[in-house]
Amino acid sequence: MLIKSSEITSEMVFNKRRRLIAAGLAVLALPAVDKGYALLLQKQEQAKQPFPPLASMPELIPEVLEPTPLNIITNYNNYYEFGYGKDDPSKAIKSLITSPWTVDIGGVGADKPGLYDIAEIKGEYAIENHVYRFRCVEAWSMVIPWNGIKLADIIRAAQPNSKAKFVRFTTLNDAQQMPNAGWSGGAYVEGLTIAEAMNPLTLMATGIYDKTLEQQNGAPIRLVVPWKYGFKSIKSIVKIELVEHMPQNTWWKQNDREYGFYANVNPRFDHPRWTQATERVIGQLGRKPTLLFNGYGDQVAHLYPDPDNRLYFY
Amino acid sequence: MTITVLPLSSRKHLLNIALCLALMWGIYDALMGPDLVSDLRSFTGRYGAYLLLVSLLFTPLSQRWLWVKRHLALRRNIGVWGFIYASVHVVVWIALEFAFDWQLMVDEIGGNLFILLGILAFVLLLPLAATSNRWGLKKLGYRSWQSLHSLTYIAIAAVMAHFFMAQKSDVLEPLLLGCVLVAVLLWRYRHAH
Repeated sequence: MLIKSSEITSEMVFNKRRRLIAAGLAVLALPAVDKGYALLLQKQEQAKQPFPPLASMPELIPEVLEPTPLNIITNYNNYYEFGYGKDDPSKAIKSLITSPWTVDIGGVGADKPGLYDIAEIKGEYAIENHVYRFRCVEAWSMVIPWNGIKLADIIRAAQPNSKAKFVRFTTLNDAQQMPNAGWSGGAYVEGLTIAEAMNPLTLMATGIYDKTLEQQNGAPIRLVVPWKYGFKSIKSIVKIELVEHMPQNTWWKQNDREYGFYANVNPRFDHPRWTQATERVIGQLGRKPTLLFNGYGDQVAHLYPDPDNRLYFY
Repeated sequence: MTITVLPLSSRKHLLNIALCLALMWGIYDALMGPDLVSDLRSFTGRYGAYLLLVSLLFTPLSQRWLWVKRHLALRRNIGVWGFIYASVHVVVWIALEFAFDWQLMVDEIGGNLFILLGILAFVLLLPLAATSNRWGLKKLGYRSWQSLHSLTYIAIAAVMAHFFMAQKSDVLEPLLLGCVLVAVLLWRYRHAH
């Protein structure tokens, strides 16, 4: 086939094109370079910054919290046992059997362990209403009007002894009831220090907007720790243990570089792959600045004597 | 009238209509969902990336399959639609996610390399989209136009790197797309003509 001489690509364009293709391949290597650099930085300490006085941020803490609409709370969820997508848990078949449901409360730190039916727990203690900010580690947030019981009440009933230094929570892990139960290689585990567990903010939630918890929100009973990243607020709890040693929570085990035990919200300490300085309010437009301890510093800052230590904030 | 007897120009119109409808559906679906911003941002970002990648697949695949070769002209439409989806993606980010708060945007870019990569990709796509027509070809002349459009490789590589690094945990999809892109780039390098 005869080719007109005008159709032959000039050598300059030929070489340039090859060079640009090579450049394209180089750009694709950027994520690897970035990760390598980040690993290098991990060796260095976080720059020490002065602890901002909480009083300097009152304008950021709204007086009245506007709760996120229920249809948003129930349709935008991270519950990997029901799928990895944000809409998977709400679209999944309602296969979780929430009644009967028992919570096994025990551990070496409990003098009065017991197996409690969820109805017993709800009947025994006063259900309180608390509107809390909820901040996910992925930098999105909601405001949720929870109904629940103070975790402190439940722990006191188990009669904690001197061995009770931490509290370890376990989620149901049943392949029959959860399509993606094996995602983390076992049951989802979370933990708190005994002081964090006894804090009046810490809730065992059984409802939202005065409605029973839906499957996707961690039915029938879940933890709410509003000053920490959302993954700490473990769902569908079957076991609570008072233990001596710090439990290794699932996300810490999954990726110890990016997720730790304390996971307190702090805009100053970025996640290795994204900033934590701002958050998207789901259902609204725009972003807003993230608050230290998610705005609950008044009630919890005293638990963390070293405010410059990244250990508390990831 | 079946698709097979339609002239190429009609098939182009059908493609344009289909991709336009898909975008409108994406907007509608996002409006109906719990979070308009992240849903629309994800939709336009993901499918914009797919469209751009598909536009690159035409040349290597046209060597294999005749029907691809016959539809080579559709490559431009797909590429431009990829740019349109990317533009909506950028507008959503600026106007809906950050509500024109430039300082916040600068802070966010500073803390996230993947956003910078996205900006790079978009900036490169702008002149490519602008010259993806007869006017562009005439204005630049064939050689310069070809040179300029070689930037596609960097632009789409930046798109894939941006997509990959933007994920919190679900990296499989961008990883697969990235592999396809690497295959295309290697093929093009070998067969650059």
